[in-house]
Amino acid sequence: MKSISELTDFYYKKLHPVLEELDKNRERVKKRVITIGIIYTLIAALLFFSLLDYMNIEFIVFSLVGYVALGGILYRFLISDYRDEFKEKVIRPLIEEIDSSFHYIPDLHVDVEYFNRSYLFPSPDRYSGNDLVKGKIDGVDLTFSDLHAEKEHRDSKGRRSYSTIFKGLFIISDFHKNFKGKTVVLPDTAQSTFGDLIGSFLQANNFSRSGDLVKMDSPEFEKEFVVYGSDQIEARYILTHTLMEKILHYRKHSGHPVYVSFRGRNIYMAIEYNKDLFEPSIFNSLLEYKIAMEYIKTLHLSIGIVEELKLNQKIWSKHG
Amino acid sequence: MSTPLIIAIVIGIILVLMYNSLVSKKNQVENIFASIDTQLKKRYDLIPNLVASVGKYMEHEKSILQEVTKLRAEANKPNISDEEKIHLDAKVTSALGSIMVAVENYPELKANENVMHLQRSLNEVEEQISAARRAYNQAVTDYNNAIEMIPTNFMASAMSYTRKEVFEIPDTQRQNVNVKELFNS
Repeated sequence: MKSISELTDFYYKKLHPVLEELDKNRERVKKRVITIGIIYTLIAALLFFSLLDYMNIEFIVFSLVGYVALGGILYRFLISDYRDEFKEKVIRPLIEEIDSSFHYIPDLHVDVEYFNRSYLFPSPDRYSGNDLVKGKIDGVDLTFSDLHAEKEHRDSKGRRSYSTIFKGLFIISDFHKNFKGKTVVLPDTAQSTFGDLIGSFLQANNFSRSGDLVKMDSPEFEKEFVVYGSDQIEARYILTHTLMEKILHYRKHSGHPVYVSFRGRNIYMAIEYNKDLFEPSIFNSLLEYKIAMEYIKTLHLSIGIVEELKLNQKIWSKHG
Repeated sequence: MSTPLIIAIVIGIILVLMYNSLVSKKNQVENIFASIDTQLKKRYDLIPNLVASVGKYMEHEKSILQEVTKLRAEANKPNISDEEKIHLDAKVTSALGSIMVAVENYPELKANENVMHLQRSLNEVEEQISAARRAYNQAVTDYNNAIEMIPTNFMASAMSYTRKEVFEIPDTQRQNVNVKELFNS
């Protein structure tokens, strides 16, 4: 697999003419967004103040929410062409540069069935995503996409609202061992928030999780993660010392909370980002190093999981 | 309800909870040990095959092969204690490790399909045993903690529960020896 520096080289050397062209486009879109944004705000403010005398507090809140929501839709509409062009001309070549066998479908996402099968999060009421990548690396199947899963809430007046269950990158890959049960690795929030004593009590009595608490024999891993499993031995069969080290390394590398589960014949990984990945920002230049690096690093991290976990080991009894 | 009665009920509940938790910890240890036993048996079943496949070639390692066969026979004796099983396991692990390393010196063996298959199976069983050992050690630690810590220690001594021994995990397995290297070198 190509290294981050090779990909950065590719970004700047091979994509440069395209990027320059695209960046001019971005400037035009940015100007349009700012102009229309100002006009939109002025009209909204005019309407707001002319109706102010007739408004109660609820109506004021409602109109503010409406202003933001409509603004968001307007923004997405204004940048949609630029966004499509950015994905085709920047993200697609980058993915294909990593491995030409990868398929990139900007508008699709990982199916909700896989999300539920991972057992990492409660099943969502609203589910969306994009930037689906599918392919094989070293003979190992790999699929990932951006996801946003939400839960619906209703208040006493029947009004609906949504809270985020998960937002970020979701990765599915083959795993090289055979196992029957399920093992789930979650960020250890209880122990880091409440300390060892209360934290471990809360972990052991977490009724929202199926399976038992599995205490791992690696203090470093235990500090960062909590493991639940349907089978104490199987959980340790999957999570060897080497794999624990690799997951820890992956966690440090990503810099974001990491959720891992093993089920069926797959490993599922969810990396929380709390933002839409691979989306262009029209307020930052495409030629800025930091912005480019973020796309490259995220892609490298998603695809690099196969190498990181050495999923292509052929020494195991499991074949194919 | 009178106060002494309430106190008596609360104490009763606490005693029952303590008793149940100790029994469940002891059963967990036994339960996991049974899984180790199954895996150990699987490994012992592979040994005659392995010895037969490599024996023809390994002239210099005859003594290790004999040692492994002897250990297998000992482990298969009826009525051996858990402690003996633990000690035999450590010896077999180290002897099998030496055989696997020795295989590297024989190109004919490295190319032999049967030996390759045996190595894969053995590797799989070793992983399972290693996982079971780690699970067992955790269960024993929980159990030992319970019988030594206040207040469950009083109950444990009344039930005449004693400390149990943990498996010593070989250093090579702590680092998870990369068997792939053995194959490729």
